[in-house]
Amino acid sequence: MSGLNVHAIRAIYGFEMARTRRTLMQSIISPVISTALYFVVFGAAIGGRIPQVEGVSYGAFIVPGLIMLSLLTQSISNASFGIYFPKFVGTIYELLSAPVSYLEIVVSYVGAAATKSVILGLVILATAALIVPLRIEHPVWMVVFLLLTSITFSLFGFIIGIWADGFEKLQLIPLLIVTPLTFLGGSFYSIAMLPPFWQKVSLFNPVVYLVSGFRWSFFGLADVGVAVSLGMTCVFLAATLAVVAWIFRTGYRLRT
Amino acid sequence: MNPSEGTIRVDGHDIVSEYRAARSLIGLVPQELTTDAFESVWNTVSFSRGLFGRSPDPAHIERVLKDLSLWDKRNNKVMTLSGGMKRRLLIAKALSHEPRILFLDEPTAGVDVELRQAMWNLVRRLKAEGVTIVLTTHYIDEAEEMADRVGVINKGELILVEDKASLVRKLGKKQLTLHLDHPLERVPEALAGYNLELVPGGADLVYTYDERGDRAGITALLQALPQAGVRFKDLQTRQTSLEDIFVTLVRRT
Repeated sequence: MSGLNVHAIRAIYGFEMARTRRTLMQSIISPVISTALYFVVFGAAIGGRIPQVEGVSYGAFIVPGLIMLSLLTQSISNASFGIYFPKFVGTIYELLSAPVSYLEIVVSYVGAAATKSVILGLVILATAALIVPLRIEHPVWMVVFLLLTSITFSLFGFIIGIWADGFEKLQLIPLLIVTPLTFLGGSFYSIAMLPPFWQKVSLFNPVVYLVSGFRWSFFGLADVGVAVSLGMTCVFLAATLAVVAWIFRTGYRLRT
Repeated sequence: MNPSEGTIRVDGHDIVSEYRAARSLIGLVPQELTTDAFESVWNTVSFSRGLFGRSPDPAHIERVLKDLSLWDKRNNKVMTLSGGMKRRLLIAKALSHEPRILFLDEPTAGVDVELRQAMWNLVRRLKAEGVTIVLTTHYIDEAEEMADRVGVINKGELILVEDKASLVRKLGKKQLTLHLDHPLERVPEALAGYNLELVPGGADLVYTYDERGDRAGITALLQALPQAGVRFKDLQTRQTSLEDIFVTLVRRT
């Protein structure tokens, strides 16, 4: 055998996607219901008091943020669980004894997690389109942001899955860091609505750049420049890739 | 585990620099029953084949599952299988990519007699097909029954690897036990030249001899016994088992 082990990539990817089909309620339907509830609570209850944000109805304004919220949490959850579960039940022995390169392992696990996230993002988008009037001014860039975010946070989830040695740790970072950052990252508001001091503080929140760029692709509205958003997303991607490369070089939590 | 020093080659392939070629030759059956709970038997075995870089071959998977009496369970979730079936499933996964070397890590630990016999039949068949089998076991009789070569690991170190027959020849002893007509208090003086030992109670006399020696001395001993006034009603011989040799080796190190 030489070159890429395509059969292995297909096997792992298929195995992970089969898990999604088995857990359809948890993987797809549950996040869609949660998002629909956000629409009801924020769109109907709060949206009634904030009729428009920079010319966009509040219900539509929060769509990119809501998609991003689901994308981030589900990418992390899918990828971290995907690699953590074999560690937990012991089937990781098979992966580590197979003629599979680290690149192939990452491509298949992260690819499957990112695929699920993209599907989920599109399902939420379709759900939103049924509830609020939507327009997508830059569809290509919307897809680019969707893909980049899914891949980046699936890589991040993969790292968490390798690092975690218990289910508590698996939930720790998503619950304590990612969810608060997402809520405070302009998912439900424009940071221009904040007092100047908090606007500056918000710029240290990486999620601001993701939400801003993604929202720009919908409505042409952005809290920060699109190039900056794209650049920051690529920086996160590079950082997660570097950590994954280090994990496989050292065998951290895999062979030790 | 990260390699520290030395090299390991599998059929000439270095396990680090040529890991793909080396690993694709190996099938591994772990001691623990580590399986996916929610996947079907068929899918989990097919997954293993793909993982090892082999294109799908439903006919081969079917053969393996039938050989291991898992065909009827092919659509069942792994979690519904019994312990013995899960053990066989692990073997099926290891055989899914047609390995040339099969590692069996204590495959019969805690399994029932019937399954144990079935596994040995499978091992014999694989061996006949030319598959090299590396079996780790605490049951020395299994090694004695199955192995061509035996390695002994003590405190993490391989202290010996040798052809089983030559190992038994080299380190084995034979013993002749004489069941006496009348118990003795001590070995008679006239028989002092023989390596005799009186079993406590005095009813049995044990003669230990080396079958590799030019002369085992049995004939001479049997002639000397009546002259020394010792009569026996029965006799039996016994060869040192691999287990005896193992215990001797481990105690020596």
